[in-house]
Amino acid sequence: MTWRIALQLALSGLSVGSIYAIVALSLAIPFKASRVLNFAQGELVTLGAYIALVLSSYGLPYPVMVPATLVIAAGFGILIERLFIRPIVGAPEFTLVIATFAIGLIIRALIRIHWQDNVFFLPAPYSGPALAVGPLRVNPSYLVIIGSTAALVTLLVLFFQQTRLGKAMRAVAYNQTAARLMGISVGKVFGSAWALSAAIGAAAGLLLAPVAGINPELGHLIVKALVAAVIGGFGSLGGAVFGGLLLGVLETYAGALFGAALKEVIPFAILIAFLLVRPNGLWGATQVRV
Amino acid sequence: MFGARKLLSALATSLSFAMLAAIPAAAEQGVTADSITIGAFGPITGPAAYIGLAGRDGATMAIKEINAAGGINGRKLNMIFEDDGHSPAKALAAVKKLIDEDKVFMLFNVAGSNGTIGTIDYVKEKGLVMFVSFASAPGVTWPFAKNLFRGGTTEVPRYGELYAEYIVDGLKAQKIAILSGREEYPKNEGDALTKQLQKWYKITPVKRAEFNIGDKDFTPQLLDLQQADPQVIAFFGNPAEAAIALRQAKELGLNQQFFVGTTMVDQGFLTAAGPAAEGASGFALIPLLPGSSNPAMKAWRAKWSAEYPNLPANRPNIFDVLAYADMYVVAEAMRNAGKDLTTDRLIDALENLHDYRVGPIASPRSFAKTHHIGNLRLQPMQVKNGEWVQVLWESKRPSDILQRYH
Amino acid sequence: MRLAHAAIAIAAVFSVALPLFGSEYQIYLAELILINIVAAIGLNLLTGNCGQISLCHASLMAIGAYTTALLTTRLAVTYVLALPAGVVVTTLLGASLGYPARRLSGLYLALVTLGFLEVVSIAIEEFPDLTGGVRGLKLAKPELVGLLLKDNALYFFVLGMTALAICAGWNIQRSRYGRAFDAVRQSVIVAQALAIPPGRTKLLAFSIAAAFAGLAGGLFTAVVGFIDPTEFDISASLRDITFIVVGGLGSVAGSVVGAVVLTLLPETLRGAKEYGDVVYGVILLGALVLAPKGIVGSLAFLARRRDSKGGLT
Repeated sequence: MTWRIALQLALSGLSVGSIYAIVALSLAIPFKASRVLNFAQGELVTLGAYIALVLSSYGLPYPVMVPATLVIAAGFGILIERLFIRPIVGAPEFTLVIATFAIGLIIRALIRIHWQDNVFFLPAPYSGPALAVGPLRVNPSYLVIIGSTAALVTLLVLFFQQTRLGKAMRAVAYNQTAARLMGISVGKVFGSAWALSAAIGAAAGLLLAPVAGINPELGHLIVKALVAAVIGGFGSLGGAVFGGLLLGVLETYAGALFGAALKEVIPFAILIAFLLVRPNGLWGATQVRV
Repeated sequence: MFGARKLLSALATSLSFAMLAAIPAAAEQGVTADSITIGAFGPITGPAAYIGLAGRDGATMAIKEINAAGGINGRKLNMIFEDDGHSPAKALAAVKKLIDEDKVFMLFNVAGSNGTIGTIDYVKEKGLVMFVSFASAPGVTWPFAKNLFRGGTTEVPRYGELYAEYIVDGLKAQKIAILSGREEYPKNEGDALTKQLQKWYKITPVKRAEFNIGDKDFTPQLLDLQQADPQVIAFFGNPAEAAIALRQAKELGLNQQFFVGTTMVDQGFLTAAGPAAEGASGFALIPLLPGSSNPAMKAWRAKWSAEYPNLPANRPNIFDVLAYADMYVVAEAMRNAGKDLTTDRLIDALENLHDYRVGPIASPRSFAKTHHIGNLRLQPMQVKNGEWVQVLWESKRPSDILQRYH
Repeated sequence: MRLAHAAIAIAAVFSVALPLFGSEYQIYLAELILINIVAAIGLNLLTGNCGQISLCHASLMAIGAYTTALLTTRLAVTYVLALPAGVVVTTLLGASLGYPARRLSGLYLALVTLGFLEVVSIAIEEFPDLTGGVRGLKLAKPELVGLLLKDNALYFFVLGMTALAICAGWNIQRSRYGRAFDAVRQSVIVAQALAIPPGRTKLLAFSIAAAFAGLAGGLFTAVVGFIDPTEFDISASLRDITFIVVGGLGSVAGSVVGAVVLTLLPETLRGAKEYGDVVYGVILLGALVLAPKGIVGSLAFLARRRDSKGGLT
C-alpha cells in the first residue's frame, strides 16, 4: 500500500464517516431528549431529504429552501408526536419502540408510492468537482458535511446546557416523574424533542442529498449511525460525531485490506466489542452529561 | 389362483385410479365461455416495487387494448394481481391463492428472481403454464420444464456471452476489471461475464472487486481497480451505487470506459448519475428505451400517459414495456391455440411462436419444443449527451447456451 | 376464564378440521401462522417474561432453517433427525448471547443482538457454496420415516410440533424457571436477594428462545421449500416483536393471538395493493394506541376490572 493510497483511504474514510456522523448526531438527539430509541429516526432523515427535493422542484433558492425544510420537518415531528406518541406515552417501553418502527414503515411506504425507488441527487451551491490536495482528492460536499456537523454540535451543546428548554429536556430524560414534579410540562418537552429530532434529521438529509442520493431506503443508514453512537457514547453529541468519523475510517481500511464482505462485518464486530468492553462508549457516562 | 387374479385386477384398478388422481388436473380452470383469467404476481411493496408495479401496469394496459380489440377468440382477458413483497414465502402464498382460490388458467410472473425460485417447484407440480416476464434466475428454463416459459429477460449465461463479445470485439478491450454488488442479479452478471471471457477469449479479468448494496463509498475498490490499470470497467449493481461509484471514479482519476449491467440501462440511472454517466455503455433488455425519440416508442408513450396520467418520475420504465410486450406474446399464443383452450394447447402454441413481437418496441420472441428461452437478443447502447442511444453493433458469435438443450 | 377455555377448544377443533374444507392457500397460511406461533412463544419467554430485548430472533430462526436445510440437502440426513439437530445448533449459538446479557441490558443488549443478527446474515452470504449465499437454497420435500411430508401430512406435522411448543411454553412459564424469569425482569437486585442467579437465568432464557426459534426455522424449510437471507433480516425480527407486543407480553396466549392476527393481517390487506404497507403500519399503530398492553393483556385487564367491580356488593 503506497502512501498515496493510504492517505486517500483516510480522506475517503473521513468523508463517508461524515455521513455516519451527521446521522448519528440526529439519532443521539431523541435519546438525549427523551431516552427513547427512535426507530423512525432514519425515516426522519429520509423525510427531510424528500421535503428538500419537493421544495427545490418549486425553484426555491438554496438559502430559502434550507430553513424552510427544517421548519416543515419540525412541524412533521410535532404532528407525529401529538398523534401517535402522546397516546402511548405511559405504555411499556417495547410498545413505544414498535410504535416508532410502525411510524417509520408508514413514512417509507408513502414516500415509495409517490417517488418509487428512483435515486435523486440534489446538487447544492457548494457541489462541484473534487478538490485536489496534492495527489489526493476530496469532494467538497463532504467538507461541508463535516463543517456543518461540527457547527451543529456546538449549537446543540449550548442548547442543552444553557437554554431552559434544553435543560428541561435533559431533566425529562433523566427522570420523568421528578421533572414533572418540578413543574416541567413533559408533553411540551416531548413535542419539542420530536421537533428537534426531525429538524436535525432533515439537516442530515439536506447534507446527504448531494453525495449519498435520496431514495426511500436512505433511512438504512441508521444502523451504521447506531454503531457510531455506541462508539461515542449515547449521551455525548460530540462523541456520536467522532464515532461516525472513526467508523468511516475503520470501514474503509477494512474494505481495502480485506474486501467487501469484511467491510460489512467490521462495524458490527466493533459494535459488539465496544458493548462488551466499554458500553458507555468513549465519552458517554451513566448520568446525562454533554 | 382365482382369488389371486381378482386381487391383482383390484390392485391394478386401484393403482390406475391412484395414478390418475396423482396427475395434476389439466388446468382448464380459469377458462369460461367468455373469459380467460390470468394470475399475475410481483413486488408492489418494498424496495423492488418499481419492478412489480411496472409489470402490473404494463400488463394491464396490454390486456385493456386486447379486450377492446375483441379479446381472444371471443373471450375477454381478466387479470388478478397479487403482491409478493419480493419475499419467497409471500410469493408462494400469492401463487397458491391464485391457483387454488382464484382458479386462474395460467400465471404471468413479473416478480424478478427472488419471488420466482421458491414457486417453481409448486408450479411444476400443478402443471399450469407460468410465463416469466422478468427473472434471470436459471431455474426457470434450466432444467427444462414443460410448463415454464421465459419472456423478456434472457438466461444469465447469455448475458455473459453478449457482454464478453461486446467488450472484447466491440470495445476492443483485453484488460477488463469487474466491480459487482453482493446481491443475486449483479453477482450473476459478474460471474457470467468472467466465465465467458475465459471460455471464448481465454481472458481473465485483471481485477474482480465487490461492494455491498447500500454502500456510499467505493474508494477502496476503485483504488484497487486503478492499480490494475484496466481498459474497461464492468459495473454490476443498482443505479444508486452506480451513480456514486461513477462519480468517485472520475474524482479519483479513473478515466476508463464503464460498461454497466442491464439494471442501469434505463432512465433512472441517468437521473441518478447525471454527467458521470456520459460514455457508459451497456445492454438494454428492450430495443427502444421509453425515453427514445423513435416514433413507435413515442406513440406507445402517448398511449401509456393517457392510461396512467399521474405516475411518478421515470415511469414508464423498461419493466412497463417488457410486461406489455410479453402479455401480447401470451395473448398471441392463446389466439393461435384456438377456441378449445387448454394448457397443453397453449404450450404447443407458445412453442410454435417464431419471432413474434407486438411492434418495434419489443424484441422478437421464439420458443421451441426443446427450450423455452424466449429472447436471446439484447440491444447495446451508450450514453451520449445524457441519453441512452442505440449502438450499431451486432453479435456475430452464435450462442452456446442452446447446445445443452439437445 | 371459561371464555378462554371455550376459545381454546374452538381453535383446536378448527385447526384439526382445516384440511377438510380449506384450500391449499389457506392451509399454507395456517402453516405460516403455526410457525410464527412457535417463534413468538420463544421470544415472549425471553422478552415478555425475562425482560431481555432481542433484535436477532429472526437470525436464530435462520440458523435453525439453514442447519436443517443443509443437513437434508448436502448431507442427506433425514428430516426427522435434521430438525432436532437444527434446534440443538440454534440453542447452542443462542446461548452465546447469554454472555453479553449478563452485563448489559435495555438498549445496549438490543444493539448486541443487532450485531449478532448482522453477523449471521453476512456469514450466510459469505459461504455461497455451502448456503447458496444470496441466491438462496431450494429444498426437497422432507419425509418422516418414509412418509412424504406434503399437503395434509405436512400440515398435521407442523400442527403437532406447534402444539408441543405451546405446551412446553406454558409449562416453562409455570415452572420455577418461569418464575425466575419474571423475577429477573422485575428487578435484578431483588432476584439476587432471592438467590436467583440473574446471569444464569438470562442465559437460560436466551437458550430457550433460541430453541423455539430453531424449531420454527426448521419447520419453515419444510413449509416454504426455499430459504434466503432476506427472509431473516431486521424487519423479520421486528415483525416477531410485533407479534408479542400486539398479542400481549408475557403470556403464551398473547404469543398465539399476536402471531395469528399479524400473520393474517398482511394477507387480508392484499386488496390494499401497493398501499398494503401503509395500511399495515396504521393498523399496527392503532393496535398499540388502543391496546398498549397487547390484545390479551388488555382483555385480561378488562376481565379483572369487571371481576373486581362485581365483587363490590
